[in-house]
Amino acid sequence: MSEERKKILELKKLKKYFPVRHGVNIKAVEDVSFTIYEGEKFGVVGESGCGKSTLGRVILQLYPQTSGACIYYGRTLEEMCPQYVAKEVAKLPEYQKKASEFYQKSLAIDKKAEALRVELDSLSALGTDREVRKEASLQKKLSELEFQSKELRKDASRQLREGSRTAGSLILCKELPLIQSLFSKALKETEAAAACAKKQREYEKQYEESRVSGKPDQAMKAKMDAAHTEAEGHVEAARKLRKQAWEYRGKDILPITELTLDPEYQAKLDGNYETGINLGKLTRNEMRDLRREMQMIFQDPAASLDPRQTVGKSIEEVFVINTDFPADVRREKTLELLEKVGLKREHYYSYPHALSGGQKQRVGIARAIALDTKFVVLDESVSALDVSVQAQILQLLNELSAEKKLTYFFITHDLGVVKHFCDRILVMYLGSVCELADSKELFHNPLHPYTDSLLAAVPRLKVGQEHSTESVLEGDVPSAMNPPKGCPFHTRCSHCMEICSQEKPPIVEKEPGHFVACHLFDKKKENV
Amino acid sequence: MGKKVLEVKDLVTTFRIDKKEYEVLRGVSFDIEENETLCMVGESGCGKSVTTLAIMDLLPNNGRVVSGSIKLNGQELTTMSSKERNSIRGKQIGMIFQEPMTALNPLLTIGRQMTEGLMLHQGMNKKQAHDTAVGYLEKVGIANPEDRMKQYPFQLSGGLRQRIMIAMVMAVQPSLLIADEPTTALDVTIQKQVLVLLNKLKKDVSTGILFITHDLGVVAEIADRVVILYSGRKVEEGSIETIFSHPLHPYTKGLMDAVPNVDEDDFDIRPIPGVFPNITEEIGGCRFHPRCPYATERCRREIPQEIELEPRHFVCCHKAAEEAAQGKEERA
Repeated sequence: MSEERKKILELKKLKKYFPVRHGVNIKAVEDVSFTIYEGEKFGVVGESGCGKSTLGRVILQLYPQTSGACIYYGRTLEEMCPQYVAKEVAKLPEYQKKASEFYQKSLAIDKKAEALRVELDSLSALGTDREVRKEASLQKKLSELEFQSKELRKDASRQLREGSRTAGSLILCKELPLIQSLFSKALKETEAAAACAKKQREYEKQYEESRVSGKPDQAMKAKMDAAHTEAEGHVEAARKLRKQAWEYRGKDILPITELTLDPEYQAKLDGNYETGINLGKLTRNEMRDLRREMQMIFQDPAASLDPRQTVGKSIEEVFVINTDFPADVRREKTLELLEKVGLKREHYYSYPHALSGGQKQRVGIARAIALDTKFVVLDESVSALDVSVQAQILQLLNELSAEKKLTYFFITHDLGVVKHFCDRILVMYLGSVCELADSKELFHNPLHPYTDSLLAAVPRLKVGQEHSTESVLEGDVPSAMNPPKGCPFHTRCSHCMEICSQEKPPIVEKEPGHFVACHLFDKKKENV
Repeated sequence: MGKKVLEVKDLVTTFRIDKKEYEVLRGVSFDIEENETLCMVGESGCGKSVTTLAIMDLLPNNGRVVSGSIKLNGQELTTMSSKERNSIRGKQIGMIFQEPMTALNPLLTIGRQMTEGLMLHQGMNKKQAHDTAVGYLEKVGIANPEDRMKQYPFQLSGGLRQRIMIAMVMAVQPSLLIADEPTTALDVTIQKQVLVLLNKLKKDVSTGILFITHDLGVVAEIADRVVILYSGRKVEEGSIETIFSHPLHPYTKGLMDAVPNVDEDDFDIRPIPGVFPNITEEIGGCRFHPRCPYATERCRREIPQEIELEPRHFVCCHKAAEEAAQGKEERA
């Protein structure tokens, strides 16, 4: 697993609960963290109800997440400045101040507690009734104070943690106002870049118009490129400013709490620093803008197309909503898209009912790749198709990903398809991660007992041999409303141990790039 | 050779669409013996479900059987009155559907639905029917059958519902069981459970099973013989071993290649080019020829006849027939 690969999406302890009634939740996604790299085909498998579809939708912010973060790296903070970042930058000194206040308060309480302790020490030598009572009350007071102080310290570190999301360990620096102004300047540059991008889109519109009419306007194209270069210049400037701010790292660190001078703690704060865009914090319009890059293709192609709209209109709608291209440009672009996904130009005028399942799915694909798509969630997109058509669609997806450098988040229950289509595979069970590995590795060396039994259950294309019935998984998936304690799989696992019903297994990296959440492997690691 | 439970010969079924008759089945023949599972494979629209509906006499209003014969235990079904057909349905032929939720009545308990058929077809009283139903629920591997009898379908998972459907159908001891994609809506682990169960039941009860599926992996697990349909015609029929080891029809080969095999390491996606034809499309000669890589002038002109190339291995393809003839000449 090479570290240099560019991340496109990172999930951090993502949780999604659906409330059913007061106090009862369906825990659809439970503490899921992983990273997806650019250009990769990332597969997710699991039985129905394991949370794979929910996960896909939470990533696209079609459902808001309950907690955790979903960070998108397709655009950097230098290229897009969401409102939340500006707000956070403005709040940086506040975080620092508050943290310091909380800490000072806790120190004051510590002093009081110390005084009490001295008083207690002097008391314990005596032993009358009244004194015993007093001792008890003092003891109570002392523990209260200790608790308060602890809470305040927690508050302080919480403040620092919040601040570190936007500034890393810079939040500890004495020169914070300076750093803050650098960050603000960077944001200004980003805004300028956004303005340039807007201009570029305007030129693009005019260029496309001229191109469709048969006489591509080269001057417009040049203007377009110039705007693009200008935008890039601003982005570069923003990057430089941020770099400048980072030069303060580790210098003049304020002793806000007792931890701040510890390099390990500083590194931890640096780890919190987000270079990507936290999708959960975007405003509606910002997310809408990002949807140009993040798209979804659904399982049932018939249900995702309006039966009363022609195919052409359905695809064109993407341009109507997201661009201000005039009608003839939209039409031309739609026709080009139809050809790209292997349909004919005539299909522009067809209604969905006149198309076969495979053709409808091609329309779905055309819609998803119409704009500058980078990341596509495919929710069981080939499951409803016949094998021969399924293979055609997979081939098309492969070609498109190679051509446009798309990243796929491929949700399926078909192990045969993921094996041959995806680069890495995540196995989920009841909202939790079971195993994550390269697809070859996963099939040759499945570690988690659940992966094992899933693989055993796949119908094989082999005849003549007795099909094994040993590893048939008994029973059903438990309800996500009330998932089993400990490892969610322990109720059906053949290797279940004591600890499995008590503790949730942590995710360990058994081999490089091969992660598994199972006590079987957790234990072995300890022994070695 | 065992007793033949079902014999279908030259079955032609048409559907009326916009005042025109279109052939959906264009002469399909096959038979099923006792204790045998025949899998019918094909893409959607090839006529597999229509075949089962024709056997059950459940075709929609615009569909009808034009010619051909369907014999159940030697009895001709096509000439029977609908009243007679009604008495056969559910008693001699049982059917399991794809979607177990929609096949069970959500308003009635499992017990009520299980005993209904037994009382109607076997003439049992309530007590007998109840005991028999419980016995069959146990047989299909359901724990606490007595409790389950009192539950409603929504309280059960998909796998359990499908087991109950199987128990319900088997309890009447039909001579033919039709299973129309019974595992398609289930997860792989549950699918495996159901397939294991069906294999076990087949040994216990002497029933012929007609199993409809599009999943070749499932076929490999459950079938004794396979019929492959393409656009209303049988293209190949043979025992499971012959079909999987040396398929003869180009379509069968294409299907096998298109399945992403879990056991293979290097797999290029090799789809069958082209689009599955609509029933309203007129295609002369072999219906597969527009998508066939070996299509010749003859394929375009002439409908290939069914020939038995090896014992009980039938194929409808000019190319396969010619090659076989050549091979024979060479040997001679």
